[in-house]
Amino acid sequence: MLTRGTLLYIGQRLVLIAFTVVAVSSIVFLGIHRLPGDALFNEHLHGTQYELLLHHYGLDKPLWEQYTSFLQGMFLHGNLGESLVNRGVPITPLVLRELTVSVEVGLFALIFTIGLGMLLGVVAALRQNSWVDYVLSTTSVIGYSMPSFVIATFLILLFAVWLDNLTQGTFYFQIGWTGTYGSIGEIWLPAFALGFPYASIVARLTRASMLEVIRQDYIRTARAKGLRETVITIRHALRNALIPVITILGPLVIGIITGGVIIENIFGIPGLGKEFANSILNRDYNIVIGVFTMYAALVGLANLGVDLLYVVIDPRIRY
Amino acid sequence: MAATAAAVVTRPIAPEQASLWSDAWRRLRRNRMALISAVYLTLLVVVAIVAIFKTPYSYRAVGVALPYSGPSAANWLGADILGRDVLSRLLVGAQISLIVGVGTQVLVLAVGVPIGLIAGYYKGVADSVVSFIINVFYGIPDLLVAMILLLLLGPSLNNIIIAIVATRWMDMTRLVRGQTLALREREFIEAARASGAKPLKILFGHILPNALGPIIVQATFGVPAAILFEAFLSFLGIGVQPPTPSWGSMASDGLAAIRIAPHMVLAPSIALSLTLMAFNFLGDGLRDALDPRSRR
Repeated sequence: MLTRGTLLYIGQRLVLIAFTVVAVSSIVFLGIHRLPGDALFNEHLHGTQYELLLHHYGLDKPLWEQYTSFLQGMFLHGNLGESLVNRGVPITPLVLRELTVSVEVGLFALIFTIGLGMLLGVVAALRQNSWVDYVLSTTSVIGYSMPSFVIATFLILLFAVWLDNLTQGTFYFQIGWTGTYGSIGEIWLPAFALGFPYASIVARLTRASMLEVIRQDYIRTARAKGLRETVITIRHALRNALIPVITILGPLVIGIITGGVIIENIFGIPGLGKEFANSILNRDYNIVIGVFTMYAALVGLANLGVDLLYVVIDPRIRY
Repeated sequence: MAATAAAVVTRPIAPEQASLWSDAWRRLRRNRMALISAVYLTLLVVVAIVAIFKTPYSYRAVGVALPYSGPSAANWLGADILGRDVLSRLLVGAQISLIVGVGTQVLVLAVGVPIGLIAGYYKGVADSVVSFIINVFYGIPDLLVAMILLLLLGPSLNNIIIAIVATRWMDMTRLVRGQTLALREREFIEAARASGAKPLKILFGHILPNALGPIIVQATFGVPAAILFEAFLSFLGIGVQPPTPSWGSMASDGLAAIRIAPHMVLAPSIALSLTLMAFNFLGDGLRDALDPRSRR
């Protein structure tokens, strides 16, 4: 599978991702640094103190000098600068840690989306026009038109408020994370809220393509051979039904990265999305640049991962 | 029985020549979900317009009820953290949502239709450039870009609309481009070209009217997408700024008080979900009505 062509392709893509990251961070850097210098500090500062801070952050230099030193720092040392609000906090380790947190939540949501979506889709296709099918098509409309934060709100209301009151506190879902990384008990609800809208899309797609596949001749042949239903469904039908489904993996991953911004803010998850919203609200411009750079890299790498997954699932695709 | 017989007799023998639009209207009327949605949305628009002149309380009047107090006869949907009337704020929030939803689509039409027409009609370099830009925009997460844009432009209602248009114009452009690519090869366009019609006349007089159905459907789906986008931005605190209420920011305020005052988060959430669902059902109905051949 890892032929020379594939490796070359991966190399090209990585170079392209690096270029995108530089372009994106440059646009954001230049856009933000066009704002007046005062905007870069929260407090009203005067005199020497203000001058010192400007000098500390290099904001007294001309724009192109700031820009080249930013690029140099990013490339040579992987240094994205220092927080403007929490002075002295270097951004790179902070952002990298938050990136792993976001990836953790996103991966859980993705597994959940694909797993539940496919399961429901297959069941609905095999039991077409049964109550399972109807319940599924109704929930998928809800999942599709309800915003993720509304779904999250209802889930919080259900699990953290009503169920808590009902069971007198025996069952209690703690909103917010105690550590840097979430445990399974903490992560399932955010992952569910994040994945639910996409799970309903996956379910609909799986159902449609399963319905098409199970009417094909080779399925009848498999049945005539006397294979068990589960083998037919999983080995013969599902594999081919998957191909239309994987085409939405790319938009799905982007959607989960974007939706993560909302979900992380609702559930108090210390990830990249929460930091992004906070830094915009706090006007911590250096962190805004850092987080956005990370997002550019994350999106690029996620897309690359999806494209490589195509090769694994569908051997006809070659790069 | 007699009535049916009379109906049969009075019906003209040759079917009346129905135009595309009256035909579509007839089909739309038969779609119950779309009809209910249309009624709901009409009511929403009426309520939002009435709310310009009269709301039960001022949306910014503090302390008209006890903070966090639940629904009562005086405050139908209860009060929020500052004792403001939730219903009044919900109504003003409906205005914001509708302005953003419709305003965005007007701008998207203004941007997407001409670009799509030109790219589809002239093909070649123009099309390659437009397609490339569209693909680039599809590859970047829209919410993040809109957030950065709002940071640079400053949060105001106009800038919110601009930010949403900047990240969502591609859907319409791609649709119009595709329609134009298909229509430009048709005989009546060739006839128009042969009879010496200017490109502008062909684009806006011949191609655009024939692509209007899908454009209307796309715009109908675009409205809820924009409303949702605004709710997201306001939910994160970078959209509509207080004291102006938005469904997103109201839900965000309510979420903080979900244990003691669930009505604060439920009211805007339900209003938002209903509105989004209504637009989506209406869009589905319009698609089925305007293009009966397409099946989901």
